[in-house]
Amino acid sequence: MSLNITVNYDENENKWVFIPEGEIDIYTSSKLKKEILNNFEENKADIIIDGKKLNYIDSTGLGALISILKRLKENEYKIYLSNIKPNIRKIFDITELDKLFIIRGEDSE
Amino acid sequence: MSRDCVSLKIPKKADFISLARLATSGIAYTMSLNVENIEDIKVSIGEACLNSLMLGHEDTISLSFEIFRDKLSMEISGVKEMIPEELEERKERELGLLIIKSLMDEVNFSKEGVKMIKYIEDDN
Repeated sequence: MSLNITVNYDENENKWVFIPEGEIDIYTSSKLKKEILNNFEENKADIIIDGKKLNYIDSTGLGALISILKRLKENEYKIYLSNIKPNIRKIFDITELDKLFIIRGEDSE
Repeated sequence: MSRDCVSLKIPKKADFISLARLATSGIAYTMSLNVENIEDIKVSIGEACLNSLMLGHEDTISLSFEIFRDKLSMEISGVKEMIPEELEERKERELGLLIIKSLMDEVNFSKEGVKMIKYIEDDN
């Protein structure tokens, strides 16, 4: 039930890059939402969530991602998911959220 | 058919759901399941516990596991299939139920909670 979030700003791409490490669940999803939206409000830009260190996400985590997506869309910015592990990709597939988010390295981009 | 049983009772608090997931992974691991099956079972238990946490009426969540040679059967108390219209996290709870129904082979709701079964293929 721990989550660390590394935050970078990619000057070349002009995008925020967030690397959540651990688990996004009921215990940590509000932390993720706050961290991402605070940075976004400070400097509005597209967002990349790099899933290379993300091991688990539950429905509250999905809910947090959906509300982040809504906020970005209101401002006409995009949210990209990259390096998503197969077990988490499967959850996006089941819930059809893969149609809502841009998953990098796949046809949907 | 011979079976082993494991029971776990956790407080109805967010802090303990990760413990339930961890214990479930341990059980699946002792059954020598493959990584994908272990993940499916862990995710489903996590969603069942979330549902029970938000919709159940008891102070605790009871989990009981029956381990068979060819399947794992799990009962979780307080899980509800009907989600109240007025619930703020309604959409999230619906996603949770969708995940459980997609990952488990059998899902049956009763007034006590839910019973979920995952069948074990020979290639494990």
